Amino acid sequence: MSALSQILPEPKYSSKKDSPPIQSSKIETTALVSIDTNKRNIPSYGNRKNWIPTTLEDFGDGGAYPEILVGQYPIRMGLKKTKKGQVLSKQVDSQGNVKYDSIARFGHSEDRIVQSQFKELIPLRERIDVKDGNIIHLRPQQEDIIETAQKTREALEKKINGKLAASKPRSRQTEVESGATFIKYTPSSSATGLTAQTSQRVIRMSEMPVDPMEPPKFRHKRVPNAPPSPPAPVMHSPPRPVTVEEQKEWVIPPCISNWKNAKGYTIPLDKRLAADGRGLQEVKINDNFAKLSEALLAAERHAREEVRQRSLLQQNLAHKEKESKEEHLRQLAQRAREQRAGVNVHEVNNGSNLDTAHAISNNIDYSSSDTENKSKKDSRSDNDDNEKERTRREIREDKKRELKRELRMSNMGAEAKAKYISRMENRDISEKIALGLAKPSNPTGDSMFDTRLLHRNEAAAANLNDDESYNVYDKPLLQGSNANANYRPRAMDTDDIDPDIAESVSKSLTNDRFGFGFNPESSSKYDSKENRKSKNNAVRQEPIEFEKGDVFGVDKFLNEAKMGLKRTRNTEERSPKRHRD
Amino acid sequence: MALLFISNDEVEKIINGLQEKQAKSSFKNSKSSTKNSGALVRTKDLHSKSQGPIEPPSGMQLVRKQNYEPPKPEWHAPWKLSKVLAGHMGWVRSLAVEPGNKWFASGSVDRTIKIWDLASGTLKLTLTGHISPVRGLEVSSRHPYLFSCGEDKMVKCWDLEQNKVVRHYHGHLSGIYTLSLHPILDVLVTAGRDATARVWDIRTKQAIHVLTGHKATIAAVKCQEADPQVITGSMDSTVRLWDLAAGKTMATLTHHKKSVRALALHPTQFGFLSASADNIKQFRFPKGDFVQNFPNHNSIINAASVNSDNVAFSGADNGSMRFWDWTTGHCFQELDSQNMPGSLDSESGIFASTFDKTGLRLITGEADKSIKIYKEDENATPETHPINWKPTLKSRNY
Repeated sequence: MSALSQILPEPKYSSKKDSPPIQSSKIETTALVSIDTNKRNIPSYGNRKNWIPTTLEDFGDGGAYPEILVGQYPIRMGLKKTKKGQVLSKQVDSQGNVKYDSIARFGHSEDRIVQSQFKELIPLRERIDVKDGNIIHLRPQQEDIIETAQKTREALEKKINGKLAASKPRSRQTEVESGATFIKYTPSSSATGLTAQTSQRVIRMSEMPVDPMEPPKFRHKRVPNAPPSPPAPVMHSPPRPVTVEEQKEWVIPPCISNWKNAKGYTIPLDKRLAADGRGLQEVKINDNFAKLSEALLAAERHAREEVRQRSLLQQNLAHKEKESKEEHLRQLAQRAREQRAGVNVHEVNNGSNLDTAHAISNNIDYSSSDTENKSKKDSRSDNDDNEKERTRREIREDKKRELKRELRMSNMGAEAKAKYISRMENRDISEKIALGLAKPSNPTGDSMFDTRLLHRNEAAAANLNDDESYNVYDKPLLQGSNANANYRPRAMDTDDIDPDIAESVSKSLTNDRFGFGFNPESSSKYDSKENRKSKNNAVRQEPIEFEKGDVFGVDKFLNEAKMGLKRTRNTEERSPKRHRD
Repeated sequence: MALLFISNDEVEKIINGLQEKQAKSSFKNSKSSTKNSGALVRTKDLHSKSQGPIEPPSGMQLVRKQNYEPPKPEWHAPWKLSKVLAGHMGWVRSLAVEPGNKWFASGSVDRTIKIWDLASGTLKLTLTGHISPVRGLEVSSRHPYLFSCGEDKMVKCWDLEQNKVVRHYHGHLSGIYTLSLHPILDVLVTAGRDATARVWDIRTKQAIHVLTGHKATIAAVKCQEADPQVITGSMDSTVRLWDLAAGKTMATLTHHKKSVRALALHPTQFGFLSASADNIKQFRFPKGDFVQNFPNHNSIINAASVNSDNVAFSGADNGSMRFWDWTTGHCFQELDSQNMPGSLDSESGIFASTFDKTGLRLITGEADKSIKIYKEDENATPETHPINWKPTLKSRNY
């Protein structure tokens, strides 16, 4: 180097030579940027005539020269950023093909994957530059996964921490970073304005305290969206134009209300019906319904048949039973009739109708003779005989009457006879009475008639009187259990009362003087019973006692009147009625 | 390309005919002559090329293998319905199996989360708290927590030891449609109708990142342990792979034409499925290279799942289900979900699906308010159910 400088002539214009020696010691004392690198000699203030800062170095650490009237951009401050060129240079790959994909790549970072070639549309297996074998590889190994996970985690954590810090209040942030640092600073020996004082310094670095209540210095503006990243090349064929048919398929007819039709569309009837949805629902009936109804029919038929058979059988049975019963009844009736008619019961038992008739005739004969005998054998008569005789006589008279009647009947004309028979039909219940089968028509024994109707005076007493009449007390005031709640003196319980008096009292009590409607006979029983029963109702145990008192002050008044005293208000006393339970 | 398939003889005939025509015709109309000559030039060009063996254009050489033979698909036993669980009063929109594989949770439009025993299918618990349909569920493998999100913009963290909500993650501007837990980090990703995916710190409830970039509702989110750690599928028919550390998009996959409503990660392989109404597409990580299509499931696919036996499942809005071989994309079974008795035909639809932790049971949440459990047919063998596989050499458009 030195040799070269010796050969070369002296430079004509040297800034070093021009610049006067450093005089000013007023250079800021706290300059932190070392002036070591500043090789250019900048004329000091006042000596800068004909000097123009040209390079960045001329501005040192960023100060401008306001006295020099030239556009200055210290450390590029204020320089307008020049846009990157929109023109791409033509690039060629190793085979000499033009790399058109650089257009698609433009604006993307290097690691961005951009598919831009036709071959990327071809399935991989069919591509010539892809070897056969496993086209899709296995998932990456564990180490790779862990590595990527670690990297991602770090990146994400950084982001999260930043976000979390931003979400914290500002005072909290400053607290954390309040530690001060001390820096020992030694300026270079060649620095301008170096004095003994400024040779070596210790600088304390600390955060500027921030007022937590300070309003924000910057207005937050909504940042407009960044322009979207340049579009990726489209890797599919263009969509096919829509055919008319496809278009027709997509036509959706306008919706027309069933109620309003402002535009007056006409809707074909079939369309209306179709839209109705009636045709859409097809009625499906399960087979099981048919099966069920069939089964029901069969079962019904079967059941009917069974019922019919059973009823037939029952009818037969009932018929038989009825017959046998009738037979039995007939026999019983026969027997009873014979018993009543005949004397010899034992004879009747095995006798037929003829026999009985014979026996009856015998009896008649016998009885007639018996009456004759009776007069003869008076001495031998005892109770038994008398009885027998009496019965026999009765029977005889009965028979006589019967015979007379039969005679009358035989003498009757045909017409009268028929009448008589018809009258007597169903009237003869003698058999039934004999058998004890005849029942009174009213099974309960109660009369079907309102008995009040039978007796006039009773009817009058009862409620049958007309509505016009005003009978206030048609019923007793206290009836039934209410009547018993009242106190009655109970003479029976008291021992000290004279029995005679007690009797008279009880008698008078049982006497239903006011027609309360309770039975006088059952009153004693009733009394005790009702007492027991009405204990729940807090029956009065003793009569109500009244204290003697001059309620209305009548006595007093009279006394005073007699005494001739004047009544004073103060002395007036009223004793209220006291009612003790 | 189509012209290439015409045989050489035919081409020659055509050319000859054209030449004769041209010879006969006088140059009456300059326009027509230029047109004809142009055609001639093109055909001639073709002719000259087709003299030798047909070679694809130089650019195509990179692209298409000459003798590509599609691989033979693996045999899988067909799946059949084994259980139907009724109990929800609305559509079942989300499902999650517990890491211990003892029970699973289902979230429904009836605003409840129900917990079912996986083996017996009995209802164990009903959790109420959401005020709108529950759209996303996940059970943490490292905490006793169940996470749920719903259309009520709420993300809830349920403590399963007390069966109570212990945390809320507040911030979404609209209904939340999906959620996913990070398998290693304590991070939860939710996404929904506000077209953003939000990354939450589980413990502090802070939103670490708001992943913006999608232009429409995000319908599916998946997290995984390796980069890219977050994958979202959106109604703007794109799939985005995200750099979780930076909170930026790593790649945008624009292969789909219709909205992507379901994503499924393979449990052992480093790839995933994205299901859309036009196609189900398989991609591989980490770059998101397109692997293949699972074609011809032409309906709105709401649910997709993959198990470790390389069986992929897709369930659609109209109740159609497909079972696919993961490696080859061969559909080995088509099923239609059977409606619960009493429900309409229109109520057959699959909204959520998941394999249990063993991969032997498939649980689907359906529009007929039931949860259905499918299993493999044990009696099936490759002999009884042969693979119906007809590979074609037909050239495809991409």
